[in-house]
Amino acid sequence: MAAGPAPPPGRPRAHMPHLTKMERVVVSMQDPDQGVKMRSQRLLVTVIPHAVTGSDVVQWLTQKFCISEEARRSPSHPSPEALHLGAVLVQHGYIYPLRDPRSLVLRPDETPYRFQTPYFWTSTLWPAAELDYAIYLAKKNIRKQGTLADYEKECYDRLHTKISHAWDLVLMQAREQLRAAKQRRKGDRLVIACQEQTYWLVNRPPPGAPSVLEQGPGRGFCAASRVHMTKSADFYKQEIEYCRRALGRTRVKSSVCLEAYLSFCGQRGPHDPLVSGCLPSNPWISDNDAYWVMNAPTVAAPTKLRVERWAFSFRELLEDPVGRAHFMDFLGKEFSGENLSFWEACEELRYGAQAQVPTLVDAVYQQFLAPGAARWVNIDSRTMERTLEGLRQPHRYVLDDAQLHIYMLMKKDSYPRFLKSDMYKGLLAEAGIPLETKKRVFPFSWRPRHSSPSPALLPTAVEPTAAGGPGGGDGVA
Amino acid sequence: MAREECKALLDGFNKTTACYHHLVLTVGGSADSQNLRQELQKTRQKAQELAVSTCARLTAVLRDRGLAADERVEFERLWVAFSGCLDLLEADMRRALELGAAFPLHAPRRPLVRTGVAGASSGVAARALSTRSLRLEAEGDFDVADLRELEREVLQVGEMIDNMEMKVNVPRWTVQARQAAGAELLSTVNAGPSSVVSVEERGGGCDPRKALAAILFGAVLLAAVALAVCVAKLS
Repeated sequence: MAAGPAPPPGRPRAHMPHLTKMERVVVSMQDPDQGVKMRSQRLLVTVIPHAVTGSDVVQWLTQKFCISEEARRSPSHPSPEALHLGAVLVQHGYIYPLRDPRSLVLRPDETPYRFQTPYFWTSTLWPAAELDYAIYLAKKNIRKQGTLADYEKECYDRLHTKISHAWDLVLMQAREQLRAAKQRRKGDRLVIACQEQTYWLVNRPPPGAPSVLEQGPGRGFCAASRVHMTKSADFYKQEIEYCRRALGRTRVKSSVCLEAYLSFCGQRGPHDPLVSGCLPSNPWISDNDAYWVMNAPTVAAPTKLRVERWAFSFRELLEDPVGRAHFMDFLGKEFSGENLSFWEACEELRYGAQAQVPTLVDAVYQQFLAPGAARWVNIDSRTMERTLEGLRQPHRYVLDDAQLHIYMLMKKDSYPRFLKSDMYKGLLAEAGIPLETKKRVFPFSWRPRHSSPSPALLPTAVEPTAAGGPGGGDGVA
Repeated sequence: MAREECKALLDGFNKTTACYHHLVLTVGGSADSQNLRQELQKTRQKAQELAVSTCARLTAVLRDRGLAADERVEFERLWVAFSGCLDLLEADMRRALELGAAFPLHAPRRPLVRTGVAGASSGVAARALSTRSLRLEAEGDFDVADLRELEREVLQVGEMIDNMEMKVNVPRWTVQARQAAGAELLSTVNAGPSSVVSVEERGGGCDPRKALAAILFGAVLLAAVALAVCVAKLS
């Protein structure tokens, strides 16, 4: 079986945790005293042991997890929780049906099921390798003399184009594996064939069947941890380091975290164009881009919602160019405008070009930090010492400490005063709510809708004002 | 002839890898036992021996600068097949290590998963070792020492793969496999009507079929008895 990328040594186990839980459940089902009752499956001549019925599985789950009396009605009406848990086990391939192998559902009646061997558990073999699938399809081709399902034929052809260099190996292995399987007795051969079939049904589901192993974008790399039989000093050093890092992580209680989440959603709900609609109208629907024009980054009259947002947090105020300009005016009235200028200069240093860094650092020092400078900022002595030391070897993050200090100063001191000031109250009163455009009577507008111009054409006269509108991108109702 | 020799070695290695794969399938299941672990050990040691000799042979041939172009193409094909097979073996060995550690045989607290496979696998191991039959008796705690050795061998095989890649550079995209898609259908391996039929049928409908057979048999028996009575009456 083709191995995936070799896991880096010492990386902690990062498996999908629901798989480990399911495996624990499956293993506890195997207990000879308290496990599920096993029966035998009778085929024409052979008898294969270790079959379980769907109803036994559901009953065992109900008992083991003490699914409550109220929820449990009668044995013929199993509780939905137990049914769901059993269905999840079957969908992931830990238990497979014997009569109808292609439909991985749990029926709480006499349908027989069997357990999957640990080799084919998802956590052992995940992700499924292409070479293995090719070998499986070749084996099936040989056994069934060419009558594969349609989607399997397609996969076969696709694999042949993808890994055509390894096709000799595929066929050699397929033939040898079939010959090796012949050395077993018939019952075992059947069981192993069923197991492999189930594994591939779960990992390469037929078109239309939901894939249970799909994960969202950005997830997926689960490096299996290496098994360590001889635990050397290195292994223990890595474990200690891992535990130390884990202890140092900040943890927030979920009650606190969820409350914060709720309050965030409650606060921002009316401002989100997807959740509460946008006025005057959704540009994607009505072809009228007044919304974007009104919410452009630099606009003379900001809307009321926008001005309200400045009160949510200091960061909101600074990130909005209009807000920042008004805040600068306010600070000018209070004679502390140099704080904001210093902060802006530091931002420019952080995100600017590498070549400008030495000159910029010098300019900032001369203007804001040197004793007797024109716009001297008030930084406490310890931070000032550290900054001056760092200025000997300037890099783009050398003014971070000072910038943070000034930021916190503005946030704790000037920002609350700004929110209480007459200037802000005046801005709030002035800002207007745009009117909703009247909906036309007919669903079709008489104005012919023109498609947006092709990007290959150069813009002719008017510059599009849509760029950078905050709600522009997601105005799809 | 070097080509035949390499081909024969590769075939042997391929066979042993397939048998090893087949044996690893049952680790942790109901057929797991100390004997199985010992068979696994013997199989993988044989596989490693074959791997080492094939690797040495192929490396020697491919590093020879004076090799003709068409011969080189041939040997590169064998090389790609061999390295793929070695990857398969290494992955199977790693999984055997993981499963063996997760399902220790001597600890009663972790029962094996009852998968329905109950028979002995000595036939498979015998095929791998190219002997007629195999009789092994493993001691009670064979698997503990075996796992340590297995860990070492996994590392060894990993090193061998690395060395191989260092010594010989064969870009995979330049190699054309000799067999086309669907070639397995032309040479009908004795698929055996038994295996085809047995995978199709399941437990469903057994009893009605048996009942039908019983009814038919009874009817034939009655007809025979009636005929015999008639004959007896006539004569």
